[in-house]
Amino acid sequence: MEVSLFHAALQGLLNIVQLKVFLAMLVGVSIGTFTAVAPQGLGMPLVYAILLPVVIKWEPLTGIALLIGASAVSAICAAYLPVLFGIPGGSGSQATVVDGYPMGKRGEARRALGASFMAGGMGCVIGTLTLLVALPAARPLIYLMGSPELFVVMLWGLSMVAVLAGRRPIKGLIATAFGLLLAMVGQQAQSGIMRFVFDQPYLLDGIAVSIIALALFGIPSALDLALTRLGVEQQPAPLRGSLIDGAKDTLREWWLVVRCSFVGVWVGIVPGLGSQVVDWLAYGHAAQSCKGAKESFGKGDVRGVIAPESANDAKDGGDLITTLLLGFPQGVVTALFIVALLAWGFVPGPEMVKKNADLIYSIIWIQGIAGIIGTLVGFVLAKELARLAGLRYSFMVPILFIFILLGAFSVNRDPVDLLVVVCFGILGYFMKRFGYPRPAMILGLVLGDLMEKYLYRSMASYGFSWLTRPGVILLLVVTVVSFVFTLRGRLVRKTEAGSLSGGAIARAEDDR
Amino acid sequence: MTANFTLFFVVVFLAATRIGWEWPYIAKLMPVYVAAVPGLLLALLQLYRDMTGWEKRRGGGDGGIEMDEVFTTGLDRGTQRRRTLIFFAWFIGGAMAVWLLGIVIALPLLALLYALVEGREKWPVSLLMAAATFLLIWGLFEYLLEMRWPSGALFG
Repeated sequence: MEVSLFHAALQGLLNIVQLKVFLAMLVGVSIGTFTAVAPQGLGMPLVYAILLPVVIKWEPLTGIALLIGASAVSAICAAYLPVLFGIPGGSGSQATVVDGYPMGKRGEARRALGASFMAGGMGCVIGTLTLLVALPAARPLIYLMGSPELFVVMLWGLSMVAVLAGRRPIKGLIATAFGLLLAMVGQQAQSGIMRFVFDQPYLLDGIAVSIIALALFGIPSALDLALTRLGVEQQPAPLRGSLIDGAKDTLREWWLVVRCSFVGVWVGIVPGLGSQVVDWLAYGHAAQSCKGAKESFGKGDVRGVIAPESANDAKDGGDLITTLLLGFPQGVVTALFIVALLAWGFVPGPEMVKKNADLIYSIIWIQGIAGIIGTLVGFVLAKELARLAGLRYSFMVPILFIFILLGAFSVNRDPVDLLVVVCFGILGYFMKRFGYPRPAMILGLVLGDLMEKYLYRSMASYGFSWLTRPGVILLLVVTVVSFVFTLRGRLVRKTEAGSLSGGAIARAEDDR
Repeated sequence: MTANFTLFFVVVFLAATRIGWEWPYIAKLMPVYVAAVPGLLLALLQLYRDMTGWEKRRGGGDGGIEMDEVFTTGLDRGTQRRRTLIFFAWFIGGAMAVWLLGIVIALPLLALLYALVEGREKWPVSLLMAAATFLLIWGLFEYLLEMRWPSGALFG
């Protein structure tokens, strides 16, 4: 039964005012903070892949609180590694290195971190507010979407994921097709036909997405740690300066935070863009629009930290808009979140907007509250978290091994899981080495089932005439136009940000 | 080497097309027509580009943005290869140990040996890591969550 959005928002808030839900959110915030700070290796995709088999056995809201609590704060504290070690702390904080590391070496690490926490917290709140406004604004449009339109939206998203975000579009499309193919393993629900099962009972229900994601992201990340021997062969910059100065810097640059946050929200909404570009786009925008940026950016300008960090956090709000309202994930984390929602019996997209609006609002509330808590944690525990960032690889690699093997084995408790995790770990290593984007494969894998379901429903209900529906035609035109437009390289170019920040990056690298 | 990896995708898509070709239309629509056939054509195109060094001539890519994370270690090729092989030996060894000994014994043992041998940590630190791992697996999963892990193949 449908309820008014106001009541849904109120109910959504009441849902999370339960001790176990709130505790789960706090545990999620702790995990997310540790993930952001811990030496390069633990990323949110890996954390989601580890948590997924555990939380899908919980009550939905408790599990959601843990997952969203973790992802909401993961970007807020992501500046430790860029500022202290001069290496990206995650995919969305690569640009922070350019100005954060020179600040760290200059004895202003705490100021850079303070600016990053404050910018991250403000970005998170702006992203969440946008999400809050998007639901009532988009609801009438969403109600017009049926299976044919949703199929085309996913097709559009996948084509954009593969082409727009990759330097190597063909490899992106190959990875997507491979993911789609893997999604087809097992018994088809519609016809009962066994596809790619090879008489193996293990393959009857397909291969668990969480095992593939664990292996694909976990193994190469652990390998990076083992290769660089972080904490042993690389030492951090000293933690000096004042956190409050950084927070004041951010408040003084509030308009930059607002602008970059909307860059983040936009990146979150557009299919295919993601955390790999959000920081560079915001940094490029700041380098273009800030006074005196040409001289100071790359030499430790605090605005070069504020811009990417605010955008990176606001992006999560944009991500959730398409994930929850259209059922299309914008990255690996939201793809795995959709897997969890499906396991609990919720179908993200119009169906969830109609039937579970209160749950969507609970997610929004958790996202906002967790972001604020994450910011406070960053300020209060800055010194302790900095120690965590210096954790040696000899601790981190076995921890990753343990969680990868534990996570994989806990799905079915079948020794074949171990073989699968090893095989996909090796595949992940080669994909990363040879430039085949792993996120494209995961998106294909997660969306494969949904796309087939929507396509089947469309064909069963309308035959080929679904192609003549106005919404489908409009979306197909958008798909083709954006595909062609992107292939011609006119939509987004890193070179734009790169040319602005290129000198800065070179300067930062020279300084090391 | 890049061409060899692309060849892997060619073989997979070719096999998927061959296997799925006999299925009824409803079953092969997605795997064959949407995934395998386009995938095969793209993989063949990529194979041609790899074999002719097309990307290198064009400066390593198409001028867009890296979708996946890019992380350069700054190590020489020999060190990188040696450390990679050692890493995979540890991981595969760990997976085999889980199969043979069971997860409750294998993972603490893996933590102990990795910290001691590869990480060159001191005995007390390594033992502490092993104990923490044991507490996590046995204490949290087996005792508190009552999640029974299967015993290893060696113990029947």
